[in-house]
Amino acid sequence: MQILHDTHIDFMKYRRFWIIVSFILVFVGFYSIFGPHKLNLGIDFAGGTQITLGFRQRPDVDRIRQVLRQAGMREEGIVRVGKDTENQVMIKTAAAKGTEEGSRDRIVAALSRALNPAQKGLDLNEVGSDALTQFLVQADPDHVAAQGPEAARAHYGPVASTIYKERQKNGIFTSMDRILHLPGVSPAVAAALQQGAYLGTFAVLGIENVGPQVGKELSRQGFWAVVFSLLAMLIYIGFRFEMRFGIGAIMASVHDVMVTLGLFTLLGYEFNLTTIAAFLTLIGYSTNDTVVIFDRVRENMRKSRRKPLIEVMNESINETLSRTIMTGGLTFLTVLAVFILGGDVLRGFAFVMVVGIIVGTYSSIYVASPFALLWESLFGVNGKWRKGKPGKLSSGYAGPERSAPRSAPADGELPARPSRPRPARRRA
Amino acid sequence: MKRPLLWRGILILVVALVAAALAYPPQRKINLGLDLRGGMHLLLQVHTEDALRAETDSDSARLTDQAKEKGITGLKVRRTGDSTFVVSGVTPEQRDTVSELAQRYLPRWQASRSGDDLVFTMSQTAVNEVRTGAVNQAKTTIDNRINQFGVTEPVIQPTATGYRIVVQLPGVDDPERVRRLIKNTAFLEFRVVKVPKGGGGANSREEILANFGGQLPDDLEILEGDRLQNNVVVGKAFYGVEKRRTVTGRDLSNASPGHDQFGRPSVEFTLNPAGAQAFGELTGKNVGYGLAIVLDGRVVSAPVINSRISDRGQIEGNFTQQEVQDLVTVLRSGALPASITYLEERTVGPSLGRDSIRNGVRAGVVGTLLVILTMLVYYKLSGVNAVAALVLNILILFGGMGLFHSTLTLPGIFGIILTIGMAVDANVLVFERIREEMRAGRTVRSSIDQGFDRAFSSIIDTHVTTMVSALLLFQFGTGPIKGFAITLFIGLLASLFTAVFVSRWLFDLVLSRRKVQKLSI
Repeated sequence: MQILHDTHIDFMKYRRFWIIVSFILVFVGFYSIFGPHKLNLGIDFAGGTQITLGFRQRPDVDRIRQVLRQAGMREEGIVRVGKDTENQVMIKTAAAKGTEEGSRDRIVAALSRALNPAQKGLDLNEVGSDALTQFLVQADPDHVAAQGPEAARAHYGPVASTIYKERQKNGIFTSMDRILHLPGVSPAVAAALQQGAYLGTFAVLGIENVGPQVGKELSRQGFWAVVFSLLAMLIYIGFRFEMRFGIGAIMASVHDVMVTLGLFTLLGYEFNLTTIAAFLTLIGYSTNDTVVIFDRVRENMRKSRRKPLIEVMNESINETLSRTIMTGGLTFLTVLAVFILGGDVLRGFAFVMVVGIIVGTYSSIYVASPFALLWESLFGVNGKWRKGKPGKLSSGYAGPERSAPRSAPADGELPARPSRPRPARRRA
Repeated sequence: MKRPLLWRGILILVVALVAAALAYPPQRKINLGLDLRGGMHLLLQVHTEDALRAETDSDSARLTDQAKEKGITGLKVRRTGDSTFVVSGVTPEQRDTVSELAQRYLPRWQASRSGDDLVFTMSQTAVNEVRTGAVNQAKTTIDNRINQFGVTEPVIQPTATGYRIVVQLPGVDDPERVRRLIKNTAFLEFRVVKVPKGGGGANSREEILANFGGQLPDDLEILEGDRLQNNVVVGKAFYGVEKRRTVTGRDLSNASPGHDQFGRPSVEFTLNPAGAQAFGELTGKNVGYGLAIVLDGRVVSAPVINSRISDRGQIEGNFTQQEVQDLVTVLRSGALPASITYLEERTVGPSLGRDSIRNGVRAGVVGTLLVILTMLVYYKLSGVNAVAALVLNILILFGGMGLFHSTLTLPGIFGIILTIGMAVDANVLVFERIREEMRAGRTVRSSIDQGFDRAFSSIIDTHVTTMVSALLLFQFGTGPIKGFAITLFIGLLASLFTAVFVSRWLFDLVLSRRKVQKLSI
């Protein structure tokens, strides 16, 4: 099966138009990040607390908000997460001033006061197995204390552990019945639990707290990771190919990052540590996509040395078009699967890749190559900004030495830089 | 042709077997990250300046003590910074003696004169030593506490810079309690209550100050505690206690839970020999006074000393059973040398982790099936070749993770899925090239050879660029992200092997068996 047969599309014909389109897209990206929308910085960078609670019943988000407000906390977001049946809520609060430790304790205390009024004793939806064991040893419903403290612990430990594991496995307890029928829970233990323990309306399932200090450090690290990543790509391509290609590839990467980030921001996804990972991966992927085309350009330059670069590029893009779409499409399928099925945590990550692959495929054709041409026309042998006179795009790229095959390393020669002055005889 | 084909086949088989051996059984060889199995990750800041201040206080006290023995009284010591103090009230005749004492007993300090005062500054090496010492001691203390709590495979590691400690505890069932337990400085001290005499505590600071005409003597300070009535907190109580710390938590040899005379939970302790002697002297000299039991600067209780006590005692207070248990744990593990704050905390409950695994695996299976299906439809029999290479790739990826004992995180699962999508990229590059060569009229044999040879440089470039990204990610990332970088890196390395070497071998194998006129691609 084959979708594309021997295409001859003049991709570079409207390259100025596409460069303008790309500039507009990048601008829109900038606008959405620094404009009125603002990047939705996650707690990883902004600092703050994010806490996931599981509720016994369908949680009343407005009530939770009200409780937190009354406790003097300003929440940044309360959202339902997970499956609808799981009754989970995530609360996010900004970093509190003057403390690194976040508002976890205050949130839990405020909710506990409001939602578990007048409850005394152990909260079976929150207690750990160790504390539960101690409670049972203390209450001693099965009357084993006479055998000594060790024996009592050995007796009640497994009971507590069964109860704890049941909660971990099947979610928080909605009624005491589920506990009372567990194996090992004797009627006496059940009675003791009903007397000295209760079921809280909610349980803390997960918590993330990042102090402002660490947030700042992570922001700095993330910024440099992206910059270094781009630099590394530039150096690698500059080394393997030529600087003009390196510039083209980096422009394409920057374009992909900005456009994707713009859309990411417009749709309100949260920018966190995983997002940085996603963008670093995107930079790698985007470069990778561009490299395949440039690889073919290099090969074709060797084959037909007198052809203008623009024609060589068109030819190379057409030749690799089928595989560009194929590889992009296959990776796209996998990240799409993650985007749809991978759950909340990976959604932002997958989103960056889903959009990034589309934008990256576009950019390796319409950004990388035009920019390589632009660079050539400005800084190439006859470049406008090089000798102070207008030059043609078609000249200055071809020459016997410059396109010396890289695959013949016997002479140990790297491809010559386009910036090296060339004798006039080689002009087309 | 036959022989190299055989050898290549054997090499591939060996790689596959080694990978399988390294990855099997997967649940033992591949660690799940905290985000998947549930657990807590904490980044602690050790406030090493606390340890410095304590060191400064004890060193300056030693100087005045030594001076007293030489008959020099009236020295006034004031701490002016974390590691500086000023001695004033030194007469010109005494100055030489004090300097001499300082040289002998305070070798870590540099003294200088400022008017009539002597200014002491701790040397930078000593400051660093105290700070790192505090971090190490904090690590040991936390280690002890976690051990008593019974967490499996804890990681407790000081960071390279910044006096911080990373604590990672997989599968903790009561994170809240562990958080409290780790942070508890548990600095226990016994101080004699001078005012009001006979314990009980005063109702206000003023009440105590009134005993001294409004000016507290230098050797006393006021501490607070809760005032209890029938086990209920009804207000605050104030105690004028001696500043001197003779006996502290460091002098304990053991602590255990017990009950006081009213059956309330309490902590029983025994002192080591040195502590017992000091405690005996302290209580012997102060019969009739109150003895404040001070925990982290607050008076827990202040019973009256009825007689000399030496090596054992009881801490009573308004404790619950669990508080007593936790107090025993922290007292046994020793006090933290400095206070601690949590800079970062990430706790994932086991249920959330399980959801993540389920989602990740489901997405992975669907993604892989889609890729396989597309390859088979688009490249037919050659697609089978690519799928075989892909399966081996996944096997090697797991083998590599087993070899490096790497941790599988949620982003790591995404890394595997992404690897699957990108691993076939190399196959696509080759196959498209083969198609091109065949269109150019080459034979099947020569098309395959040319296809692999010419696509090779692209394959290297594409792999290296993404691997560079993965390396940077590893450098930058925290736990889960590192997991992503590792799977991506190993996966790409494996794909280099499978898509080039294995896939080619499969083609060669088929071509050597029969004459192929038309390649199914």
